[in-house]
Amino acid sequence: MRYVLNRVLQSVVVLFGVTVVVFLIVQLVPGDPIRIGMGTRFDPEVYEALRRASGLDRPPLEQYLSYVGRALTGDLGVSFRSGQPVSHLIVARLPATVSLAVVGIVIALLVSFPLGILSAVRNGSVLDSVVRAASQLGVSLPNFWLGMLLILLFSSTLGWLPPSGYTPLTEDPVEWLRRVIMPGITVGVVAGSILTRYVRSSVLETLSMDHVRTARSKGLPGRIILLRHVVRNALVPVITVTGTQIAAILGGVIVVEVVFAWPGLGLLVYDAVRARDFPLLQGAVLLIAVVFLIVNLLVDLLYAKVDPRIELGGGDG
Amino acid sequence: MTSARPFRLATAAAVALSLAACSGGGEAVDMGDGAGDASGSSSTQGGTLVAAIAGEPDNLDPHVTTAYFSFQVLENVYDTLVEPDVNLEMQPALAESWETSEDQLTWTFTLRDGVTWHDGSDFTADDVVYSYTRIMEEQLSPSWRFSSVESVTAVDEQTVEIAVSEPSPNLLANIGGYKGVAIVQRANVEAGDINTRPVGTGPFELTDYTPGSSITLTANPNWYGGAPAVDGVEFRFISEPTTAVAALRSGEVHWTDNVPPQQVAALAEDSDVELGQVGSNDYWYLALNQQHEPFDQVEVRQAIAYAIDREGITEATMFGNATVNQTAIPEASSWYTDYSTYDFDPDQAVSLLEQAGVDPADIPMNIMVSSDYPETVQAAQIIASQLGDIGIEAEITTLDFGAWLDEQGQGNFDMLMMGWLGNIDPDDFYYSQHHSEGANNYQGYSNPEVDELLDQGRVETDEAARKAIYDQVSTQIADDASYIYLYNPDVVQAWVPGLEGYEAMPNRAIRFREASLP
Amino acid sequence: MSERARNVGGVTEPDLDGRRSDHEVDDHDIVIKEGPRGWRRTVLEVVRRPVAVASLLILVVVVVMAIFGQWLTPYGINEVNISRRLEGPSAQHWFGTDELGRDILTRVIASASVSVRVSVIAVAIALVVGVSLGLFAGFFGGWLDSVIMRSQDVMFAFPEILLALAIVAILGPGVTTATIAIGIVYIQVFARVTRASALSVRTETYVRASKSLGAGPLRQMFSHVLPNISAPIIVQTSLSLAFAVLSEAGLSFLGLGVQPPEPSWGRMLFDSRAFFQDAWWLSVFPGLAVFVTVLACNLLGDVLRDVLDVRGAATTRGGGVR
Repeated sequence: MRYVLNRVLQSVVVLFGVTVVVFLIVQLVPGDPIRIGMGTRFDPEVYEALRRASGLDRPPLEQYLSYVGRALTGDLGVSFRSGQPVSHLIVARLPATVSLAVVGIVIALLVSFPLGILSAVRNGSVLDSVVRAASQLGVSLPNFWLGMLLILLFSSTLGWLPPSGYTPLTEDPVEWLRRVIMPGITVGVVAGSILTRYVRSSVLETLSMDHVRTARSKGLPGRIILLRHVVRNALVPVITVTGTQIAAILGGVIVVEVVFAWPGLGLLVYDAVRARDFPLLQGAVLLIAVVFLIVNLLVDLLYAKVDPRIELGGGDG
Repeated sequence: MTSARPFRLATAAAVALSLAACSGGGEAVDMGDGAGDASGSSSTQGGTLVAAIAGEPDNLDPHVTTAYFSFQVLENVYDTLVEPDVNLEMQPALAESWETSEDQLTWTFTLRDGVTWHDGSDFTADDVVYSYTRIMEEQLSPSWRFSSVESVTAVDEQTVEIAVSEPSPNLLANIGGYKGVAIVQRANVEAGDINTRPVGTGPFELTDYTPGSSITLTANPNWYGGAPAVDGVEFRFISEPTTAVAALRSGEVHWTDNVPPQQVAALAEDSDVELGQVGSNDYWYLALNQQHEPFDQVEVRQAIAYAIDREGITEATMFGNATVNQTAIPEASSWYTDYSTYDFDPDQAVSLLEQAGVDPADIPMNIMVSSDYPETVQAAQIIASQLGDIGIEAEITTLDFGAWLDEQGQGNFDMLMMGWLGNIDPDDFYYSQHHSEGANNYQGYSNPEVDELLDQGRVETDEAARKAIYDQVSTQIADDASYIYLYNPDVVQAWVPGLEGYEAMPNRAIRFREASLP
Repeated sequence: MSERARNVGGVTEPDLDGRRSDHEVDDHDIVIKEGPRGWRRTVLEVVRRPVAVASLLILVVVVVMAIFGQWLTPYGINEVNISRRLEGPSAQHWFGTDELGRDILTRVIASASVSVRVSVIAVAIALVVGVSLGLFAGFFGGWLDSVIMRSQDVMFAFPEILLALAIVAILGPGVTTATIAIGIVYIQVFARVTRASALSVRTETYVRASKSLGAGPLRQMFSHVLPNISAPIIVQTSLSLAFAVLSEAGLSFLGLGVQPPEPSWGRMLFDSRAFFQDAWWLSVFPGLAVFVTVLACNLLGDVLRDVLDVRGAATTRGGGVR
């Protein structure tokens, strides 16, 4: 229990740090963020009004508190570029990104688990070598390049799939699938490669453990051993890693969305960076970081619950 | 000339002010039902025209936004007193007719009868007065167009009088050239809704706006020009040209202007797609900063004008979908001046530099382009290569448009490349960029003769005399290399075969009022 | 010489990408052989493996291209030739030409320079700052440790690419910004690795001995602890170089890193986006260059890890700024 409390407390502290960093994004801009946004239409009166409206004329601490306070109520400010509330813009883009992330994770899991387990069980075989090589390749593959290659193959050459664009699942499941498959694979391959290696080593580890050998020597059929002991034990650390990979996927989604013109949160962040639309950028970054934090917290707690060997009360060094 | 550049710069000014007044963010943007009675989409005859545009409007207030994407939508939502036809001649719109007084200082417009706003209220002269006054007093984006306007008054419910300080032959173009000078509704503005829920008099009304995705317009059966043939228009934001073209091919969208130049030739041959291509009044140019030595010397500027391969640049960046031009006004226009002094002649460039006594290696050259216009980034690389051939080492600075505008405004550049669009009247093409007091004269050009000519051209009412003036102006400006002109791009749009009632316009106005689906 | 190895039910295969919380990366998981392993032996072990040799060879080629590139290229880097643009691979242009008629092989070779520069400098920044932070945290423990590690946690809470994007938004796009951004993002990896190793070694005899001989904390840290934990740091360096190359390519691909006319593999991919569907050579070759370089660094890192026998969560998470 102490571990849980510690961990949650740690998360809160980190959350606080995250909000500070996000808040600093605007503060650290060399030059004047508002002036940058105004460009040639600079007008002293209007500029002052904007400053007051955005709160940039108040002392930093006050701004920070105000920002956090409003953020807690879901008010993330207003986009410099379009004047729309940031929270609205972000929420509108969420379904697309969630689609993509989920598909990516599913693909990663579907690939890594069977391959990792098989590879570990047939350690040293040709299959094992192939899987290991493939996963090493997968980790080194630039995901934007992979995306472009997939487009080259499946769109330009074969003409099977559309090269970009998004159809909501609710609108047309078939179209949705046709569109999400390539970006999903792109997102999932890297995470999948990493996961495969984890699964493999975790299973290998467990296989060599004493109690498994004991079970074997007792003459239990191999399959049962595998299922009951190995997989369950092996999965424990893999949970944590999956949590990490969700995090990695969230990051990878940004570039993949750009490649496939996928209108999600990642593309929104990208546009915000290019347009120097700071409120929008801040809002999106905050949201993503918070999701990250929560996922990691949950994963850690889950890990702690599942693995009794965790040192309790020793949350950090 | 116009301020209707195709960019995404918002004046968060009025927006933020009105939003701040409306108790901050978190405001709902959903149109909801609104004035939903016009959304009778039960008729199967009309259908909804789906148009893919390359970006999202930043703001739907026509007086404030300068983003082309906004105007693509607003062209169908608002009206102006007069508007350009497909030949860019001004025709009656909300104003049925007009007269000028003898001294040319008073214009009287008679407005159309029976026009209503989308919310049902009546359109009157007061709306015109309100709109123009708003632009002038709040100094909104198009306010320069009213520089000669002294007053706007409503004589009665259907008559508006505009008093100008000097004869203004370009007044019609100024008050009707694009929808930035549209007639807006006071209530809509004062409620703070105009930037997301504009209410106009146009052939379509805005009924839905999903940020990041699409804007839906519904036909206005009461439009003065007659009810549109389609039930509505949905503008979808598809920034990737390949996606847009693929969507067009598959029939998912009916129309798009997001056509990459390199695909135009292929699309022209494609039977699944109908291509509309027409020369535009836009022009792209290079400007050398005359406040940086040695660009203050005209020979140096001319040298650079000779060092550049316009044809090559046009071919590479536009794949031939543009017309090379050494002045601003395109050939199709009656105001065109035939000028071709420069050609691609690096030797001439070198000798001019020698004449000026300038060593190319000493010339600092930073080419400033905007990443929002990838064709300029490409062109910059070509130019850098060609300047390198005459011994000038060039660097390229790529900025996002907001930063680019900032740097331009502060004069932090050696050379820049940009375009101006939506120009109609010859004054649009030249005044604000080349008059010493011009608002957009960032290159620091000053020629008193040209100033005088430009001032004269503004008030000269005799067309032939005016043409002569502008011929002189354009020749002098090109000789002085105040701008080094490159080309006039084509307007290229594509739609599904069978889409009728739509024409590509040289000022890039997108009008679906008469369009009908196959 | 004792070896300390403990696993907390953790996976021991070294190529873990990403540890999520501190309890995974603590002294239990790192195996450190006391004392440096003898460089000659290490090198011999490395060259015994064909994979390592191949990787080294590739990296040498990359570095040679980076340094001598401009003399090795058949054409000029910015040699525009509009009449010959978008031509496929041919005898005169092995990799074809791009949309401005420039030779792609030339630009691929020339791009090595910026990739090497950016990744080396970025990793150097991350190394210096991260290792210092980690040493201080691991060595002193207590509140300093907590402060440092909490701050690293905060950095860790952002996907790497997001952090890099935020930095680019603040400072504006460009190769310098990209380098700084990548450097900053990878600080926490080095900090963690160093800290974990430092923790495990802190109480070792030789460290305590030096203390009793009057060595101050700095001396202990840098002269005694650091050399003995160099193994995981070396492995981490190799892996981070891989990800730094990947990150620079990623940022340039987004148009936010290297700016024209300077060539960069990522930037070439960015420029190719409008054309690549009809001109496959525009995207295949630059991407291949990135892939091969990153692969080589990764493989080398793996081999080093095996040879130096560093086990545990000693790698970056997530695969860099992708």
